[in-house]
Formats: sequence, structure tokens, C-alpha cells
Amino acid sequence: MDNVSFKVKAGDIFGLVGPNGAGKSTLLRMLCTVLMPTSGKGFVEGHDIVREAKEVRKSIGVVQEKLILYSPLTPIENLEFFGNLYSMDSKMLKEKILQLLEEVKLTAVKDRPVGTFSTGMRQRLNIARALLHDPRVVILDEPTNGLDPQSVRWIRDFIVNLRERGLTVILTTHDMYEIDELADTVAIMDRGQILEMGSKDELKAKHGVDKIEDVFLSLTGRELRDELSGRLRGRGW
Amino acid sequence: MQKGSFYHLYIVMKKDLTEFYRVRARLVSMIMLPILLMLLFGYMFPSSGSITHIPIAIVNQDQSAVAIQVINSFTYMAQSGNAFNVITYTSLAQAQQALLQGKIYAIVIFRPGFDEGLKSGAASVQVIVDQMNPTLDQIVTSGIQSIFSQLNVQLSVSQGFPAQAGTISVNMQGLIPGSPSSFEFLAPGFIAMSMVMGGLAGLAMTFSRERELGTLDGMLMTPISRFSIVMGKAMAQAVRGIISGIMIVILAIILFGVKIYGNIFLMSLIIFLGILSFTGLGLIATSFVSDQESAQMIMLMIEMPMIFISGIFYPVLQLPVWLRDIAYMLPLSYTVSAFRSVMVMNAPLSAVWPEVLVLIVYSLVTFAIAIPLFQKMVTK
Repeated sequence: MDNVSFKVKAGDIFGLVGPNGAGKSTLLRMLCTVLMPTSGKGFVEGHDIVREAKEVRKSIGVVQEKLILYSPLTPIENLEFFGNLYSMDSKMLKEKILQLLEEVKLTAVKDRPVGTFSTGMRQRLNIARALLHDPRVVILDEPTNGLDPQSVRWIRDFIVNLRERGLTVILTTHDMYEIDELADTVAIMDRGQILEMGSKDELKAKHGVDKIEDVFLSLTGRELRDELSGRLRGRGW
Repeated sequence: MQKGSFYHLYIVMKKDLTEFYRVRARLVSMIMLPILLMLLFGYMFPSSGSITHIPIAIVNQDQSAVAIQVINSFTYMAQSGNAFNVITYTSLAQAQQALLQGKIYAIVIFRPGFDEGLKSGAASVQVIVDQMNPTLDQIVTSGIQSIFSQLNVQLSVSQGFPAQAGTISVNMQGLIPGSPSSFEFLAPGFIAMSMVMGGLAGLAMTFSRERELGTLDGMLMTPISRFSIVMGKAMAQAVRGIISGIMIVILAIILFGVKIYGNIFLMSLIIFLGILSFTGLGLIATSFVSDQESAQMIMLMIEMPMIFISGIFYPVLQLPVWLRDIAYMLPLSYTVSAFRSVMVMNAPLSAVWPEVLVLIVYSLVTFAIAIPLFQKMVTK
């Protein structure tokens, strides 16, 4: 990260985009308190991400591209496990699980092992897991990656629904159409920096284009990127 | 020319080897493991006379001048060939405690009236042998018998007794009544070994698997502490280890007639502490690698030598001094020793507390190192 500074308005869908290796995941992992920043400050719902990490974790729900689910367990068992990590009251947890399973349309398969589910079903359950503890901020890291069009549509509608409920959503994706459709505010990142940030209309007007994709390409260039991952770079490869 | 199955086989093999070569931890483990095992086996199998200075105890309950003289001769003969290291105990209880703790391998007892018995031709000494390891048991038994045979010859000549009158008979007795099978000595080691497999490898694998799958991140993003994650997983391994230990015990009882002489709760405590110390060690070792296969290789590199030098199959005493020192640094040596003492010899906690203490300290220290390392590993 290099001098990154931004604010997300409560109740907004904040689109964070950038080419591979731009630093989006690193930034999100810092906000999730999994990675510690070496300098600077960060706050989620007014809580310091370093000093009040536990409070931050209670405020956020995270959906990553990698599914945070255990395949041999059923949806209920998965959700019970994560709910208990948030020390939720068992009666409330049970009710919440049934309500969320209904919302993500998985009630019929609530007792089947997750390993038997399609990718779309798993991602829906993954979203339910992220919402179990009623977070105020939901971080969605490429939530529609690799899904069929029906699942993608359902997830996009669900993201809009989250905003309607007053939740703040931070969304990263490589699908610029998705950003155009969903995001209120967009930040374009590259090489650890936020290049530009603003509402979709502001950014489009500034660059004189009709699509966020064109804003993105004009800022980050059209050449192919051959970014190495941090780990391999560290080994001199 | 159409490319056939063998070409594709070659392509798959080449890809696998290239992938293997790229991950240094796997490569180093592959090279190190056979070297380590080769060295271990080379040093473990004894060459003639390689077992020396076996500690045995003498308890003199007779205190007569003749008994003292015989003991001096016995001690001289026992130590002159470096076969034994003779330690004198004033009380039988102390010597028995030392035998249970594995500090000595036999007790030679000169009972009251030895002097009179020698004069009347009915002198006997009682020898209690540690049967924990069949190899050592045999060496100690035959060694002591051989010394008394030589002593009998000396006595008949130098003491002026008639040959028949001067004979000392050796009354051999094991710590365990009856004739226990060899498996009875091996079973505790096998149980401990299964704990190593479960504890050491299991924990390392579960962490690297969860890391690869992304579920570890899921736990890290909840408000629970890193300590809870590490210890929760360690406890799961402990339960698994105890279950597999119980299964082996049941099988050993049903199929091989192994008897349990000791306290079940004390045995469970030793198993539990053993697993905790293994899991701490496993966690430290695997915090340096990120994928399952590398974790597996590293675990294999620790497990295999540990199993062979920790006294499961061969006495630790049989090892060269430097290897013995390494064995004493490993938790498995203490687990096997304590578990065997309790299970086979009904040793009480007072007899195995040094091992229990070592395992507690080992667990605390390894986890104190492992938890910050875990923290570092997950934030890479």
C-alpha cells in the first residue's frame, strides 16, 4: 500500500477495482484485520483496525472468492459453527440460520453436506455465513467470479438488497459491468495507490466516456499486466 | 507420429517433478529423509558390545563381611568390561522407584542371611529385571548370570569353601508377574506412535488445508483469538489421538492378550500431554510452509526419526550418546517411557512425574513459540 486514503459513506456500495496485483486484496485483508498495516491508520465503523480488531471483526461480514465453508458439514452445521465464533445466543442463532437459509434459497438442502452443492449454491451459503452476525459492513471480494448467469443475477440483486437494508458494501470485482450496475462510489487502484475515486457519473464525466470500463482502462492502460504475486517476488522469481 | 500413452505419462510425470522441484521445503525433505533414516539405522543397530554402562543397582540387606566382599567382586567384574554401571542403594524401596523410573535396569538384592546361606551352600541373590525392553532384558539377565557364574568359581577357590557350599544361586524375577509377551512391551510404544501420527501430522495438515481452502481466513475474521484457534485445533487432535490410542489398546488386549497393569487416568493424562507437545512441535515445523504437501513432507521428516530413536522398538540406551541426547530432547521419548511404565509396570504418578513434568513444560514452551509463529504465518 502506498499512501492510500479513502472514506466509504455508510449505506453505499463502494466499488474497489484495479488490475491484478493492484493491492485490492491486501487492502481488504487489512480492513478485515487479518493483515497488520506497517504504518497509517484505518477505521471500520469507528473502530481502529489495529487497536480494536475484535470490534472491527464484529462489524464486518466477508465474502471472499475462496469459499469460507466446510464441505463435509451441512449448511446448518457450517452456520452454527461460525455463529458460535461470534458468541451468538443459541436460540437467536438457530432462528437467524433458518431465516438466512430461506433468504438464500437453501432451506430445502439445509441438511445436506455442502460438498454436494453447486458453486452457485455454495456462494449463496457463503453470503449467508457473512451475514449471520448482522454486520454493518459487508466486504465482497469477487463474489460472482466463476458463477453461472443465474447465480450472478441473484447475487447482484442481493447486493442491491443489502444497500436497501442500510448496510455498507465494499465490492471488488474485475467485471466492470457489475461496477457500473451496482456501485455508488468507485475507487480505481493500481500499484498500491488509489488513482481516482468518486461517483460513477463524476468519473465518467471527467474522462468523457460512457462506461466505467473506459475510465478504468484510461487510468490503468491497455497493456497486458504480468504482475507476480508478492510471495514469488520475494523468492526472486 | 501420434503421441501415445507413454508420452502423456512422461508429460504428467515431468509436470509433477517440476512442481515438486519448485517448492524448496518438499525438495529439502526429500533429500534429508533418506539420509536421516540411513544414519539412524546405521547407528541404532548394535555392533558387538555396543551396549555398555547399563545402570544396575545393588541392595545389600545382609551387611556381613562376606556379603560386602562378594558385592565388591561383583561390582568390579560388572564394571571392568564396561558392561554395567553399578549403583548402590541403601533401601530396596528407593531402588524399586529408580527401576520404575527407568533410571536402572535391574536390582541385585543380597537378602539377610546371605552369609549363612553361603556357608551352608544355599546362598541366593534375588535379581529384579526391568522387562520393558526384550533386547535389554536379555542382555542384563545373561550378563548378571555370567558374572555370578564367574564369582562362584572364584569363591570356591579363594574363600576356602567347598565348591558346592560356595555356590550362589541367582533367583531371577521380572517386574511384571508371569511371562509377558514381547508385544506387551511394544504396545505402549505403538500407542504413542499412533499419537504422533495423529497429533503431529494431523494438526499440521489441518492448518495447511484450511489455509489453502480459505476457511482459516474465515476464522481469523471472527472476533475469536488466535490462541482459541490454535488450541481448539490442538484439542481436536488430542481427542483423535486418545481415540486411536484407546482403539489400539483394545485391539492389543483382544488380539494379543496384552494386560494393563496401570491406572487408566494416568495413562490418559500422559497421552494427552504427549499429544499436546507433539502438536506444538508440529505447528512450529509447519508454520514455515504454506501448502499441504510440504507440510506432509516436513512432518514425515520429524516423525520417522522420532519414532525410531524414542525407545519404541529399541532401547534409548542402545543409541550412541549423541543420538541419545537427541532422543532426550524429543517429547516422544518421555511419552513412551512414562506410558510404558504406567501401563506395563503399574508405575504411580510419583514414579513418572519427571516425564510428566517434561511433557508439560514441552507443551507450554512449544505452544508459546507456536502461537506467535502461527500469527506470523497467517498474516503472510
